[in-house]
Amino acid sequence: MNIVVVAACTSGIAHTYIAKEKLIRAAESLGHTIHVETQGTIGTEDELSMEQIKLADVAIFAIDIAITGTERFKGKKVITVPTNVCVKSPKQLIQKIEEELNK
Amino acid sequence: MNLLDAIDERIIDLKLTVTSKEEAIRALSVKLNEAGYVEDIEEFIKDIYLRESEGVTGIGNYIAIPHGKSDSVTQVGIAIGRLEDEIEWETLDGNGVKLIFLFAVSNDHDYAINHMRLLAQIAGKLGNDEIVEALLQVNTVEQLKEIFKG
Repeated sequence: MNIVVVAACTSGIAHTYIAKEKLIRAAESLGHTIHVETQGTIGTEDELSMEQIKLADVAIFAIDIAITGTERFKGKKVITVPTNVCVKSPKQLIQKIEEELNK
Repeated sequence: MNLLDAIDERIIDLKLTVTSKEEAIRALSVKLNEAGYVEDIEEFIKDIYLRESEGVTGIGNYIAIPHGKSDSVTQVGIAIGRLEDEIEWETLDGNGVKLIFLFAVSNDHDYAINHMRLLAQIAGKLGNDEIVEALLQVNTVEQLKEIFKG
């Protein structure tokens, strides 16, 4: 799968970046391609390109707060989960999404 | 700026002898205060608990990442405490906590943006299970630095 993610947590200090790392490692170990944008206190980093979004099979919003730029995902399959789910069980999350998409 | 610039020996205690979350947070806050990162310990601790009330900071694998976003923070930094025996903490996997990364962050987002980036990088490392496994075994600050360097 091609996966794009936007991650943003309550204080924008730590969980955002842990979730990013966890999702990247899990997705790559399962053979998927993944790009993760973070919206934290230091601003937006690794902003997703329109091309990356276009090519994505699914978008994951790993968020505990409102994010900006959701209009970019219009028409995309978007799964919204709290950052904690990505920190706790990133592999299971991605596997579940994969099953869902293959239905 | 290098990741190791965020590792300050003065605010690291790898032989923390506390038996509760409250004691751990206080001990690390005192260190931050003594090293000039935090002006007012009580206000800082109050802000840490404000964040605690908003969601779990125990990320599993015996790691906790409490953070104080506080006006009492005069220098952005990260205090690290390691315990021999786990203490009770609200965590995602139900285990206790042996390693604490206490983030001291200013309310002013533009302040010390480079240091904030380093903190984000350190947080990212905590999303790597192998790094976490290694961190749980460290006994010296030098070993800790080696892990973050790699």
